[in-house]
Amino acid sequence: MSTRGLVVTDLRVAVAGNEILKGINLTVEPGRVHALMGPNGSGKSTLAFTMAGHPGYEVLSGSVTLDGEEILGQAPDKRAKAGLFLSFQYPAAIPGVSVANFLRTARQSVRPDDLTPAKFRALVFEKLDALDMDSAFLGRYVNDGFSGGEKKRLEMLQMAILAPKYAVLDETDSGLDVDALQAVGQSAQSLRATPEGADMGFLVITHYPRILKHLPADVVHVLVDGRIVKTGGPELADQIEREGYDKIRDEVAAASV
Amino acid sequence: MSSDTLDALAFAPTKAALEDAISYLGDAGTDSGSAVSADARRAAFARFETLPAPGDRPNRGWRHDYAKLKFDDLRWSSERMTIATLPSRPRPVASNTDELDLSIDQPALATENAGGLFHLGSTFLDHPKSGATDARVTVMPLSDALRAHPELVQSAAGTVAKRGDKFTALATAFQNCGAFVHVPAGVQLDAPIQLVFAHDGDDAAVFPHIVVVLGDGARATVIERHEGEADAFICGIVDVVTGANARLDYVAVQRAGEGARSMMTRAARSGRDAVVAFHIAELGGVLVRSVVDAELDAEGARAETSALFFNTGFQHVDLVTETRHAVGNTTSDVVVRTAASDRGQGRFHGNIIIEPKAHGSDASLRDDALLLSKGSHIDSVPALEIAANDVKAFHGATVGSLDADALFYASSRGIPRGEAVRMIALAFFEPAISRFPGDALRDEVRTALDRKIDTATDLDA
Repeated sequence: MSTRGLVVTDLRVAVAGNEILKGINLTVEPGRVHALMGPNGSGKSTLAFTMAGHPGYEVLSGSVTLDGEEILGQAPDKRAKAGLFLSFQYPAAIPGVSVANFLRTARQSVRPDDLTPAKFRALVFEKLDALDMDSAFLGRYVNDGFSGGEKKRLEMLQMAILAPKYAVLDETDSGLDVDALQAVGQSAQSLRATPEGADMGFLVITHYPRILKHLPADVVHVLVDGRIVKTGGPELADQIEREGYDKIRDEVAAASV
Repeated sequence: MSSDTLDALAFAPTKAALEDAISYLGDAGTDSGSAVSADARRAAFARFETLPAPGDRPNRGWRHDYAKLKFDDLRWSSERMTIATLPSRPRPVASNTDELDLSIDQPALATENAGGLFHLGSTFLDHPKSGATDARVTVMPLSDALRAHPELVQSAAGTVAKRGDKFTALATAFQNCGAFVHVPAGVQLDAPIQLVFAHDGDDAAVFPHIVVVLGDGARATVIERHEGEADAFICGIVDVVTGANARLDYVAVQRAGEGARSMMTRAARSGRDAVVAFHIAELGGVLVRSVVDAELDAEGARAETSALFFNTGFQHVDLVTETRHAVGNTTSDVVVRTAASDRGQGRFHGNIIIEPKAHGSDASLRDDALLLSKGSHIDSVPALEIAANDVKAFHGATVGSLDADALFYASSRGIPRGEAVRMIALAFFEPAISRFPGDALRDEVRTALDRKIDTATDLDA
């Protein structure tokens, strides 16, 4: 069995003593788009933050491996170097640090000295263009005074610049208008069309299926109350759009009786 | 003059030492080069003896108490000479000009200057070598200026003394060096004027008095620098006066040795519709008191102050700003960023006073403090005294640690925690740094702060 993939095994996680994730098993395959859907409070963001190494989440048991390498217990920056990227639902502002400086420092940390300054600059401008972002962005402070749409575009810009192996998109669609949503979807798609992005695996965490119109999922997982209760193809997202989460909840409740 | 007098005079704040100083320096206006008369020195010394030490109630966890300042083993002089006549001395580095230059950060002086003065401790040496002096401006030792331009000097000297405290009295009593800058009406300078104090000898007592006069419509940047590794005792006064519609950016970059003590009071009076902007970076020293007084007594005058300190190790810095709106339609804007790591301590006292006649004044005071370790401490004490109606006065203050969300965010992008701490901590100073004039100066301050982060041993916050 191949060890490739972002593999979550029996993951149990508590926040402030409350168990939120109650045994998650999930594999994000290279080159594929997995959607993780679930109602509010089901534990979606907890999974995202736990994968990225947020210190506020206590892992009770389980493992997360990235192409065979255990990443739980590693510092957040090590996980990023291993190839993990988290697009934040609420990206933090860093007043005083320009976007340009931040991008350069991040790229240099994840992939030291692999680009000349000129090539790095060219890459940034190419990706800005693809995201329909103005170069004035580069001089602004990271997420400082950004609108919701600007923040999400900056997340996508960072993803494109860092070119990770696996990207977890936590509610990247929330608060976006149609244009921004389309830009996000296109950005991910165009990244997948490049040689280095072709193998990228995505975990798209979302409450509503609308982002999946722009970034179609190959596999859909449904998270309810800290457990993956259902996994299926794209049609599962359509079903949720029609029926909401209640029907799936009922099915799960019936099955567990 | 023989070279052995340079190191011979012991300094102590005593009457006997004062009389020694007077007989050594002579009276003002004579060839001796003193800028203060004997009587003025005696009067100032009397004030020094009777005035209370600044600072608040002791024993609140502060390591330093101004009332218990020790002056042991200090020595001083006021000998004037040029580089050509500088005697060889075994200990200090300044035995020749090449070595002297090595003790100073070159990038800081490599910029084009409109003029400047170079002091080794209290000893006036020369004009900085780089950059020719702009013929339109006057930059000279204060004692020379007192003879050459007595009215101009008198028009400005005493701005500080009006509200002097114990240390300004001490500075006047023992004044042993100084600079005079005059930018005549209408002259607008692109390059800065640099006043450099290289502190080369430990335990040197340096009492500078700097007087800056700008005529109507003049525009200038003056940079006062304190450089060098030595643990000097610096106690001085800066008096600034501008004419109408002038703009002065007055910068002070203090990077004295890690055992140095510095007590500087800088005060300005602006003319009608003039702007005086102070930019203060207190980076060196173990005990530093830095006072900025802005007096707005002409309609339309504006005072801007940006100030910062970053106390590492056992540093203690007190920063005091007082902005007085004496007449109407005056504006002020104070931005202060302070940080401490290790066992660093600091206080910021920011006062805004709006006097009864100052209707239509607009004052803003913003100070933020960043604590980078559990052993560090910063007090922020802003105060607004408003006696006029129809004024705008804003004041905001925070004391906090590094934003954990920002740290995690940066880490999640692959930036190691130490780098993220550095990046976010340095960025914290930007609102103050970005107001400093000129890219070179801003980068210099950033670099200095970056080096301070390297020396910080405790960044556990």
